[in-house]
Amino acid sequence: MAAPEVHHLFHNPIADHSFSADHKTLAIARDTTVELYSKVGNAFKLKDELKGHDKTVTSIDIAPNSGRIVSCSQDRNALVWEPTPQGYKPTLVLLRINRAATFVRWSPSETKFAVGSGDRLIAVCYFEEENDWWVSKHLKKPIRSTVTTLAWHPNSVLLAAGSTDAHARVFSSFIKGVDARPEPTAWGERLPFNTVCGEYMNNSAGWVHSVAFSPSGDALAYAAHDSSITVVYPSAPEQPPKAVISINTQLLPFMSLIWNGEAEIIAAGYDCEAFRFAGGIDGWQLSGTVEVKGRPGLGDQREESALNMFRQMDLKGKTKDDTQLKTVHQNTITMIRPYETSGDSVRTFTSTGVDGRIVIWTA
Amino acid sequence: MSIIREHTQATLSDAWRTIDIDALEEDSPVNFDTATLHQPQTEVSEADVRQLTAQVRQLLRGGDAEGALRGCLEAPVYEGPKGSGSSEGGGARDAALQTVIEVLQSIKASDMTPMLQRVYASPGGSECLDVLMKYLYKGMAATSSSSSSSGGSAPRTPTRMTPQQTGFSQMGPRPGAPSSESTGAAMSVLLSWHEKVVEVAGLGCIGRVMTDWRRV
Repeated sequence: MAAPEVHHLFHNPIADHSFSADHKTLAIARDTTVELYSKVGNAFKLKDELKGHDKTVTSIDIAPNSGRIVSCSQDRNALVWEPTPQGYKPTLVLLRINRAATFVRWSPSETKFAVGSGDRLIAVCYFEEENDWWVSKHLKKPIRSTVTTLAWHPNSVLLAAGSTDAHARVFSSFIKGVDARPEPTAWGERLPFNTVCGEYMNNSAGWVHSVAFSPSGDALAYAAHDSSITVVYPSAPEQPPKAVISINTQLLPFMSLIWNGEAEIIAAGYDCEAFRFAGGIDGWQLSGTVEVKGRPGLGDQREESALNMFRQMDLKGKTKDDTQLKTVHQNTITMIRPYETSGDSVRTFTSTGVDGRIVIWTA
Repeated sequence: MSIIREHTQATLSDAWRTIDIDALEEDSPVNFDTATLHQPQTEVSEADVRQLTAQVRQLLRGGDAEGALRGCLEAPVYEGPKGSGSSEGGGARDAALQTVIEVLQSIKASDMTPMLQRVYASPGGSECLDVLMKYLYKGMAATSSSSSSSGGSAPRTPTRMTPQQTGFSQMGPRPGAPSSESTGAAMSVLLSWHEKVVEVAGLGCIGRVMTDWRRV
């Protein structure tokens, strides 16, 4: 297994990150700006700063084909940054929300994106040709609290959302004129806008931090603040699901999760490292960590000389320097995303967190 | 006093900051029942708890401490659907807590970890230890707040928060030395169990106690 590629960008938290499809541009949400990095040699160099928000940028996503960047912020706005020869040109989106926007993702079709907000709704945004403007429709119905996370089904109609009311939900975001009529799935057959296709909650009811559809779209996984991940297998529309498997772990809560094929989930969060879960419809279990600890060249394994020992005792009053975590990330991981994929499986993935590092891992 | 000054003072007051805007909004969280945020809960009658207690005591007398512990944890008495308060469910829940503490006190320190590991490894074991953790925290709250009354067994009513009863109980005057000694002993049992449960069920267990709406 190759060693992870670690880049320490700055000493600020990274709210979200996104790579362009060719991996040449890395967008980072830092404070109120979106920073664009490109790789020069072995390091990421700051190339451009997109300034348009006046409060913390909470989420960011680059559409793989069109190259458009969408960002959303606590200033209640979302901006679509269109690539032009003169640089990125922002367009304001009419979200019509009066609380912070928390999360944004392009649909796989790239004709829509969804913005979660503290206004207890999801704004599904699409481009209206006649007005030359991004407009939004609201998914509102059973949401009782802030929407923290979103994930798209491969068919670009179904949308999974996690919320601080401890529910993970699956909605239809079908918009006439924008979407083609979707094939019926286990989640539903007829899918008018705001159909609730599923609503799930754990017994111990923690905030939902992350949701993800499996590559086929026939299973949903979510991570909640009760240190659990839950996998839901729907059976048929309007029917109870075939299986709901909840794994309570001994670890701290997970902030983000991705599927690696249909039989593995990678999740990371407050433990500052990524964990693997393996299983299927018959059951899931924690199968180990992604990170290999104690490998050579970790950097902090200094020579155990007498000089070094006495110097440490003199400086810090102890012989071991224990201010460093043993993990690569030195603080909570807030987002993991697939980086290179082959088919349904993830070959490498990236993680960012509160420590300002971006790490590329071999899955 | 100029007119401008008066004008600004009248309009720039910060009274608007204290308006509770959530109350004015129809679908705001203050205007809906929080019961939708957690799984439905059922009320357990006091008679049921008494029956359970009797069964648990019998197991304990028979020397099956693990069975007794499991018995209490698999049928926890949760706060009723009506929410907090000492109304009808309070007595039953306090009785259940007393039973759990009795069982915990009867188990030897050397048996704790192996027993917890066996419970954790069994099906549904993780949830059992979550429930145990809830009882430990509740027990700690009960023993510390009732230290000024008579021991841990008194039926506890939610008393108004006074500086003496919260926070550092050692700071306040100790009225009855014998009773505080017994609560100290109960507390040390709870603390050593807490340590062992965290060793087996991890920090996730504490997180789940905090997120869970089903209070014991």
